Amino acid sequence: MRKNRLYRVLGLALLGFALGVALTQGQQELDPYKEAERQRELFRQTAGILPGELYAAQGEELFHAKRGPKQVSLEACDFGLGPGKLEGALTQLPRYFADTKRVEDLETRIVSCMVRLQGFKPEEVKRDEVKALVAYVASKSSEMPINVVPRTSQEIAMYNLGRELWYHRAGDRDMNCAICHEAYAGRKVRLSPVRSPRQGLSNEWPAYRFEADKLYTLQDRIAFCYESVGIHPPDYYSEPYIALSMYMLAEATRGKNRFTEMPGFTR
Amino acid sequence: MRRSYLISALLLVGLASGQPGATYITPELQRLIQAGGQNYANVLLKQAPDQALCSIHRNRLPPEVLGPFIEEQRRLIKYPEGGRLMGDWKRGEAIYNTLARGNCFSCHAGSPLNIGGNVGPSLEKYGQRGTSEAVQRYTYEVIYNPWAYFPCTVMYRFGHGGLLKPEEIADVVAYLLDPSSDFNTKPALRR
Repeated sequence: MRKNRLYRVLGLALLGFALGVALTQGQQELDPYKEAERQRELFRQTAGILPGELYAAQGEELFHAKRGPKQVSLEACDFGLGPGKLEGALTQLPRYFADTKRVEDLETRIVSCMVRLQGFKPEEVKRDEVKALVAYVASKSSEMPINVVPRTSQEIAMYNLGRELWYHRAGDRDMNCAICHEAYAGRKVRLSPVRSPRQGLSNEWPAYRFEADKLYTLQDRIAFCYESVGIHPPDYYSEPYIALSMYMLAEATRGKNRFTEMPGFTR
Repeated sequence: MRRSYLISALLLVGLASGQPGATYITPELQRLIQAGGQNYANVLLKQAPDQALCSIHRNRLPPEVLGPFIEEQRRLIKYPEGGRLMGDWKRGEAIYNTLARGNCFSCHAGSPLNIGGNVGPSLEKYGQRGTSEAVQRYTYEVIYNPWAYFPCTVMYRFGHGGLLKPEEIADVVAYLLDPSSDFNTKPALRR
């Protein structure tokens, strides 16, 4: 029943998107923030719901459903604040988890819970489900201050590796993250403003990107960065993502940044 | 600090002798990168000594490293056969304005076809500099290997990285310098 309703709303949203595209033809807004705001309003007016909220609703169903070989929900999943505590969970991730003995971000933690609690094999975990769950858990940290402070030796080591990776130049285009997101923060690449971690880079993910018409998690967004400079991105849930997220979000914390509305809505 | 100078010295030796082994990658960083998978690690672990120098110095080379670094970068520049540094501006136009090729407009203003970014300096009416041999050579060399003039800059080393052939770079030089090129006769697109 709930699923049916979800599809109806999804259909409406798609209609809204098509309408939005039709309305924007020929009058392209050059400020990406204003354009995102306009697109968001169009969704609100035509569908009454944002795509990010649909993903979160789908994630909510998945979170509470009894699934996997063990037929249990994810309600016992501990994101660092205690089992099932979701309020503000995203704000303090990535962090070290004693049960898996490693530093995990939100996406990796969800996979760990699906494997450890529900009994899925790692290769059975569907990316789309993880993304919906990310949207749901993130929605409980909407507009909250980012609070990633590396404390344990494992977290500090991950932060330091993330910083090394951030400055690591490689590939036939000599790229690293810093050369744009530090040296040229405040400038524009084409139409897109470039931000540094201290300025809050990474504070809008997971987000619905209206240009791609897809939900992007922070890992998706980092992968997109690598792809756009011709480097094959790391495998999902692997440590390079966790290290880079740790570095960016700890710096965003130092810059006293908040998350945007979660899931975000962006270009 | 001391450690970084020692690594710099080792890297410079590596750079001068052309040895590929010079690196600052620690075993921990290597393990982390490998965890990202084979395709990713292949690129990130195959770091050249000059890339390593830019990495450890956070893109700002200290004075004692700068001289030998620039000399080495100058040595890497190759020229088109026949030595013509200005090619066909029409072909250059396509390269300059295509995301998957030169992608110049993403960072530089000046193109009549695309709104430019402002990460790099504006190139609007670049042709005002004239077409002397010195201007042609400078323009060609900066595109072939920007690190010979601006060490560690974000601009791709188009020639050295194999992203554009010497003849294609000459076409872009023509797009920028040829007085009859649209780049110089038509107004730049503005935001």
